[in-house]
Amino acid sequence: MWEQIKSNQIRSVMLIVTMGTLLFLVGYFIGLYFLDSPTAGVILALIVWGMMNLVALFQGDSIILAMSGARKISPQDHPRLYNVVEEMKIASGLEKMPDVYIIDDPALNAFATGRSPDRAAVAVTTGLLDKLNRDELQGVIAHEIGHIKNQDIRLMLLASILLGAIVILAYYATRIMFYSGMSGGSNRRKGSSGGGGGAAVIIVIVVGIILMILAPIMAQLIYFAISRKREYLADASAALYTRYPAGLASALEKLANSNTQVKNANKATAPMYISNPFYKGGMAVNDLFATHPPLADRIGILRAMGGASYADYEKSYEKVKASRIIPASALAEAAPIEARPASPESQAGEIRERVERTRETSDLMWRLSNYRSINCGNCGTRLRLPPSFNEPSLRCPHCGYVNQLETA
Amino acid sequence: MKCPKDKSDMIVVEHEKIELDYCLQCSGVWFDSEELELLVSVLKATGAALSGTDLLRPREAEHAEARRKCPVCGHKMQKVWLGEEPGVLADSCPLGDGLWFDSGEMQQVLQKLGPQDTQATKDIISFLGSAFPFTLGTDKRG
Repeated sequence: MWEQIKSNQIRSVMLIVTMGTLLFLVGYFIGLYFLDSPTAGVILALIVWGMMNLVALFQGDSIILAMSGARKISPQDHPRLYNVVEEMKIASGLEKMPDVYIIDDPALNAFATGRSPDRAAVAVTTGLLDKLNRDELQGVIAHEIGHIKNQDIRLMLLASILLGAIVILAYYATRIMFYSGMSGGSNRRKGSSGGGGGAAVIIVIVVGIILMILAPIMAQLIYFAISRKREYLADASAALYTRYPAGLASALEKLANSNTQVKNANKATAPMYISNPFYKGGMAVNDLFATHPPLADRIGILRAMGGASYADYEKSYEKVKASRIIPASALAEAAPIEARPASPESQAGEIRERVERTRETSDLMWRLSNYRSINCGNCGTRLRLPPSFNEPSLRCPHCGYVNQLETA
Repeated sequence: MKCPKDKSDMIVVEHEKIELDYCLQCSGVWFDSEELELLVSVLKATGAALSGTDLLRPREAEHAEARRKCPVCGHKMQKVWLGEEPGVLADSCPLGDGLWFDSGEMQQVLQKLGPQDTQATKDIISFLGSAFPFTLGTDKRG
């Protein structure tokens, strides 16, 4: 459905074309300056770009996942998470189940990556698994699946490859320029083409410097161009897939709350934030939104939705932002969809469930780290032993009972 | 996780669904902030007298004891006093990763809990006491 969205696609194509042109220009000037042939420079640029493409094609998602320290899990490792991903995969009509990864990090975060909807991955942090209830987790996963389904991950990958190629070429070009300028002061162009070369050299230097400065700004531009609007679209998809906009809204509220906590946690107050747990947040969160306007907007839109269809999201978006977001092609085929009620979950049970969720997740992380788990033979206290532990016995720190251990 | 004192691998002790890292060599305890937060929310839910202003109030301490490094982030931890004067010395991660109690420090805490101490301090310290009755000598059999 989203693949048909023209305006979105035109933007994406323009972005890629612009970046491609930039890459072409960088190659052109490198050729002009170092190789005495613009064509050779362009070919060099294409080779660099091609090689990066190959790396990305075979390794792209695994590099990103390895860098973030994500571990792939199977259905039995964390059934709850796996079920939610599966539900959302079915609801979104995605053809292939994405790989599921867990990142051992108390922060609340999640992302999707991959080179196509058929070869995608979803990663979530342990903090997210601990602190979100099922409805909220479902909302976040649906949002990530929305990114996969809407082709956002592919565009991000394409754009980052182009950007990477530009940065590498510009970086080495300016480096070489700098050092050749230092050593002896005579560059090759001056010798071969006399007076006319002077102006060209200056232009090349200026362009090179401008490109160097532009590269990081380009990164920001890509981020804004791609993510701003696409975040809203993925939110709309999440509402549709879950039929429960309040789930994602509530998850985003927890996120807003925890971000602020982390930011506030300076050296003096750090141990104190424990006394301000998330649950009281519901009402007080409003003040915090000031520091996160986009998050506040996203929550506002989701909260104001009457139903769960794209049309409902559009109506709500118009109210909050006084503009439009969802292209007509998606609205035309959208049937009205009622939002479902919240999953039964009492507020009192919420904390007990949160403890259970935390232990469920930490169980998995200990298992993945090869910790051995035993229960004290006397008091039953659960003890976890690091892989380096190879003593024959262990005195329980709770009751003092000496547990005999099987040697591994 | 490595003990910040002697760098040996710590074991994990689960007491009332809260995980604590415990060093078999020195009997020190690392209380991770995630677990600390979890404990506080459990205490709140069970109606313990924790009010909004009732914080665990660490005060910065000047102390000659060697500064330890946080086992999570590796930053040097700060010495802090917990509870009312004179309080109990603990090490607090500057980034808020958690609190470290030397085994001696824990014993002091248990003995020194006074009426002026905030409920949060009492609850957390007595939780540590109930988690390690044997190690801390609060258990008669010990």
